[in-house]
Amino acid sequence: MSLAAEPAAAAATSPHAIEAIALGRRYESVVAAESVSFSVAKGEFFALLGPNGAGKTTVLHMLTTLVTPTSGSASVMGYDVVRDAEQVRRQLGMVFQDPALDERLTAKENLDIHAVLYGIPRASRAAAVQQALAWASLNEVGQRRVRAFSGGMKRRLELARAIMHGPRVLFLDEPTIGLDPQGRRHLWDRIAALREEGMTVLMTTHYMPEAEACDRVGIIDKGKLVAIGAPKQMIAQQPAAKNLEDVFLKLTGRAFRDEEASHRDLIVNFGKRGGEHTR
Amino acid sequence: MTNTAGVLPGGSRPAAEALGLRQWMGIAPSVVYVMWRREMVRYRRDKSQLYGGLSRTVLWLVVLGFGLGAALREIEGYTYGQYILPGVITLNVLFASLQCAIALVWDREVGLLREVMVSPAPVLSVTLGKLLGGATISVIQGSIPLLFMPLLYMPPNASLLDPSMAWTAVERAYDPLAIVQAWVVMFFMGIFMTALGVIVAARLKTYEGFGAISNGIIQPLYFLSGSIFPLRGVIGGVGFMEIPEAIRDELRRIGIFAIGGGWVVQLPVWLQVIVFANPVTYQLDMLRYVLLDFEQMPLVWDLLITFALPPVAAVVAAWSMTRMMKSR
Repeated sequence: MSLAAEPAAAAATSPHAIEAIALGRRYESVVAAESVSFSVAKGEFFALLGPNGAGKTTVLHMLTTLVTPTSGSASVMGYDVVRDAEQVRRQLGMVFQDPALDERLTAKENLDIHAVLYGIPRASRAAAVQQALAWASLNEVGQRRVRAFSGGMKRRLELARAIMHGPRVLFLDEPTIGLDPQGRRHLWDRIAALREEGMTVLMTTHYMPEAEACDRVGIIDKGKLVAIGAPKQMIAQQPAAKNLEDVFLKLTGRAFRDEEASHRDLIVNFGKRGGEHTR
Repeated sequence: MTNTAGVLPGGSRPAAEALGLRQWMGIAPSVVYVMWRREMVRYRRDKSQLYGGLSRTVLWLVVLGFGLGAALREIEGYTYGQYILPGVITLNVLFASLQCAIALVWDREVGLLREVMVSPAPVLSVTLGKLLGGATISVIQGSIPLLFMPLLYMPPNASLLDPSMAWTAVERAYDPLAIVQAWVVMFFMGIFMTALGVIVAARLKTYEGFGAISNGIIQPLYFLSGSIFPLRGVIGGVGFMEIPEAIRDELRRIGIFAIGGGWVVQLPVWLQVIVFANPVTYQLDMLRYVLLDFEQMPLVWDLLITFALPPVAAVVAAWSMTRMMKSR
């Protein structure tokens, strides 16, 4: 009992929602992230900005306990991401870069699995699923298979799912990527509503207007945090920078960042060519 | 539409800390159940698996069973079709469980698995749900050949259309106890093979289709398990002695060819070594024992490998799943 009480006390006293101290991850010879330190206050809206392959997703995955750091430490709501991984998982909601849905299942079935995984009691499960569907404006298509959903619908479903269990911190990995302007706006309105409710949000993005709308921005390049601050302040500090994009290009250079196709890309492409019914 | 964005489920949203999974040593029954049910729903919605199992059964059991069976008159008193029945069941189990397991590669990159791995649900329970799902599908797919059993027990030259003959075949084919035992063996086989598939899938970086799995894993395991040829002493065949050349010529002229050949005694040693090292050999032997009361391996080994290996494989599979996510 005393063991369980200790991290709870830590959570109550920690002033930060997220804290990373010299966080790093290397894969054999490749350094994906190196001594990344920053903190996000409770209720803050924070964006990680960076070119392709800069290490944004690695940082996000370390904070969400999916990847174990090889150096440094991090905590979410006062819980250490390595030692109290299970507590950290309870505290966070996550929306991945590409849909993490079972496309053969209906929207309802996907949400129901989430409810069980997070231990929402059986008695309130159906209501929680219904609420999430309503929140995502997907009431009418709850019984339809996700396979038939548009990118925007999938995103809304995932965002609704991510907040179903009442997380304290929301992690969004490129939440609006691949959406049309309408879908982007629709999703953004919902994220803004969560923010008003006091939710701490950490997102990665490529999209400058979204980053400018955040309380603070951290710019990551080649695995390192190169700048951090409020967007306005960052623009003011860089001479000749009119907007965040200027700051970004100034700090990360104008060179193209070509990335080799990841395993995921290869698999997605294979699926697009019509391969495999296992999906 | 837009005003719904303001209506949050916040008021009645549960506090994350208040939620908890009932679990014991990493086994949360609700998680196991929901992951099992997911596999079942996916299976139900993918009819191609059922058709695949059906066509495999017809090809192997009916076509090969009767085709090659015409040449090999008997194996220890069993027709060739009866002999390969447990083998065809095994083939269906292999396909069902490995297909279920390999779907992990998709699931990890573009499916639900990341969502599951970022949740507080214990990995062991998630894995168990997957394994139980794979095993249940294996039992269903493995039961397809059982439906064809009366065909194998028809008296020679009997008409299928004769109801009394057909009934005799049904009575001879089905022993309820044997069927139940066969389901138990299929289930454990399914657990083992799904676990093996999960261990393989966890190490697969890229994936270009099920073909490699089928050719590289399923078929070797199947062919090298004594599924379609006996391990020792084929007795029977076309005749009990070498046919003299003169008679061969005579027979050839009227269109009868010499196939098989009397006393085939034993597999070559190298093949024996591989077959004896293949765990599927023992599982299949167990299955053949319960269905035909015929075994070629020591029963103790059959029992050990069929029932004691799957729990071990399940733990290794759970460990592989954790490792797979951590090392991404």
